Amino acid sequence: MANETQASFRNDQEVDFVIVGSGSAGGIIAKELSTKGFDVVVLEQGPFRKAADFTHDELSVLVLHELMGGGQKNNQQTFRDDESKVAVVQPNPPAEYAQTVGGSSVHFTANFWRFHEVDFKERSLLGPISGTNFADWPISYAELEPYYSRVDWEIGVSGAPGPFDPPRSRPFPVPPLPVKSSGALLEKGAKAIGLHAQPAPMAILSQPHNGRAPCINCGYCMSFGCEVGAKSSTLAAMIPQAMASGHCEIRAECAVFRVVTGENGRVSEVLYYGPDGKEQAQKAKAVVLSANGAETARLLLNSANSKFPDGLANSSGFVGRNLMFNGHSAATALFEHALNDYKGVQVTRIIHDFYDSDPARGFYGGGGIDARPLFVSTPAMYALAGMAPDAPTWGKEFKERLAHDYARQMFVIGHTTSLALDSNNITIDPTHKDRWGRPSLRMTYKDHPDDLAMAKFLQGYSMQMLEAAGATQSWAMPVHAQNAGAHLLGTCRMGDDSGTSVVDKYHRSHDIPNLFICDGSSFVTSGRGQPTMTIMALAFRAAEHIAAAAQRNEI
Amino acid sequence: MNVDYLTRRLFLQGTAGAAFARTGMASLLAMAESACTARDESAPFVTLSQDEAREFEAIAARILPTTDTPGAREAGVIRFMDKAFGSFGTEWYADAKKGLAEFQAAVASEFPGAGRFSDLDESDQDRYLQTQQDSEFFQLMRTGTILGFFCMSSYGGNRDDIGWKLLGLSGGHASWQPPFGYYDAEYVSQNDVQGERHGE
Repeated sequence: MANETQASFRNDQEVDFVIVGSGSAGGIIAKELSTKGFDVVVLEQGPFRKAADFTHDELSVLVLHELMGGGQKNNQQTFRDDESKVAVVQPNPPAEYAQTVGGSSVHFTANFWRFHEVDFKERSLLGPISGTNFADWPISYAELEPYYSRVDWEIGVSGAPGPFDPPRSRPFPVPPLPVKSSGALLEKGAKAIGLHAQPAPMAILSQPHNGRAPCINCGYCMSFGCEVGAKSSTLAAMIPQAMASGHCEIRAECAVFRVVTGENGRVSEVLYYGPDGKEQAQKAKAVVLSANGAETARLLLNSANSKFPDGLANSSGFVGRNLMFNGHSAATALFEHALNDYKGVQVTRIIHDFYDSDPARGFYGGGGIDARPLFVSTPAMYALAGMAPDAPTWGKEFKERLAHDYARQMFVIGHTTSLALDSNNITIDPTHKDRWGRPSLRMTYKDHPDDLAMAKFLQGYSMQMLEAAGATQSWAMPVHAQNAGAHLLGTCRMGDDSGTSVVDKYHRSHDIPNLFICDGSSFVTSGRGQPTMTIMALAFRAAEHIAAAAQRNEI
Repeated sequence: MNVDYLTRRLFLQGTAGAAFARTGMASLLAMAESACTARDESAPFVTLSQDEAREFEAIAARILPTTDTPGAREAGVIRFMDKAFGSFGTEWYADAKKGLAEFQAAVASEFPGAGRFSDLDESDQDRYLQTQQDSEFFQLMRTGTILGFFCMSSYGGNRDDIGWKLLGLSGGHASWQPPFGYYDAEYVSQNDVQGERHGE
């Protein structure tokens, strides 16, 4: 914990901003506001891990959920697929996010697709979809593009332009990561059936950039933290600058449980449990919530008071609603020669031929496809869950298949849109509490039939490509309704109409002038499966507008 | 799946997640990491009784048998179980104890005169396990064996990287350089990859 180099503020001292969460959005906003001279306190419920703390420990990270707060024993999140049911604590957390400084940008896979123009105005292009809250964004791709370019250069993105990409004002700062066998095979299969693979844009450095080291191809990206800081987390790219500003204090292991409003209807302070478990308060002129699309909604709902009985910023009733995960499918195959796909980053080639929705398919949806090791990434997960359906599960032949197949298998994943629905939401569990005693997050979620149809559609093409690439054996994993998500989107959507959205187009809550919300919750639509790039672009844009408003004394 | 971390977790939920639930891995979620490293073959077991250790190891040795390459026995899977059951996997241990009692009772009735599974010869062991492979106890033993065989040796198993070596992984697999595999080597030889432009 290198907190000796950062600012330190008293709790009773009214700072300019308290930011809740230090992840993809919070880390950027903290850096932007503090380097502009505003005094900022960042409250992060997880510990302050550094690059040197990250390991290749499959048991700790994947089984014991070390980076996710120790899993359900501590978090007690509940899940149900229908509002008529009682939600239960399932073994794995339904809202999958990291509890660590840098948030989920630390443990994510680092796929980094920009949204396309269509993502922002699809409702206008396609018309309404009955039973959903399908809507346009209040901003366009063109308005967000300068901030995507800032993410490219300031966060650090490797890539090369592809045939379906939206326009960009600057080139990628560093070239694509070295192609892997899975990428080469995806490209071969795609070409054979008339599709177009392109190098994957990844938030992992292929070359030194901004004083940071490039990727060493260790293969431990997905779910793990990067031990060399090549993965472009806010921990690697933003937090050091925020701390060096002299205006930012990162308080790790501080779990916020309530945002307090005063008689004037404005936010006055934030209450949290400190590292010793004791209750603390931090006064602030304004508060920014960047706790992710599940936790931001939970905090707003848990902060209900007599003036705001349905939760803060919730006059629309939209806080917690419209949760979107993105849908997924998987196809997998074995090949004659060794791919060794456990080496290097997860994804090196993607396919965006099916990005746009096409009414001719008979359902709404768009998506992208990528090639990756998935279960091949780590040995135990492969042996437990990744092997071919005809492989024995124990004994001599099991061992032989492990030795033979591990190097020869790859996966192709389809990523889809999710439709915004009232019935997919975050609420407060009436019974369970997390390890701090905060009422638990309750998730209700069931994929829309169109989302599942799109996942199956992409899986069909995934199978065709694997076969066209020369697979010796291929099989599809079942597509079914999801009961967990790492993309936590839509629960405090932005919009111009305060009756159907929670924040305005600059991330200020409609109801409380000094409360801002920026993270995955701000999304109006889900995109095609890789939201972090857009969360970060929104954060740069939000910070610019928040700072300008503060400078004008308009907060 | 965060991964697009999301993707990976999704399939853990759908596939491994279900397997975990089925095998009692849910109880593994009650945890704290433990630190010590047991490498001494003759060291006494900390958590397991001698009888439990003997039976669990015999089962693990049929799941990942010793062949022309080392198996669960050589990898020290039983040392992993001893540590896991005594630290982060205590609830799992309770399931294993209960499962073992039923398992042993069935062995005794199936093989009169043979007191324990570990006393059977390997072909009888395999034949008996065929009848048990859908049981929760067997699935729990399978999960424990796999974790012990492949997870870091600091947890007591995967001795001398035996698990990783079976898969062709050398050492701690800390970093790699391209070409990674056959098809990317072939791709690079056929394409002007160096000429890939990264900006417009």
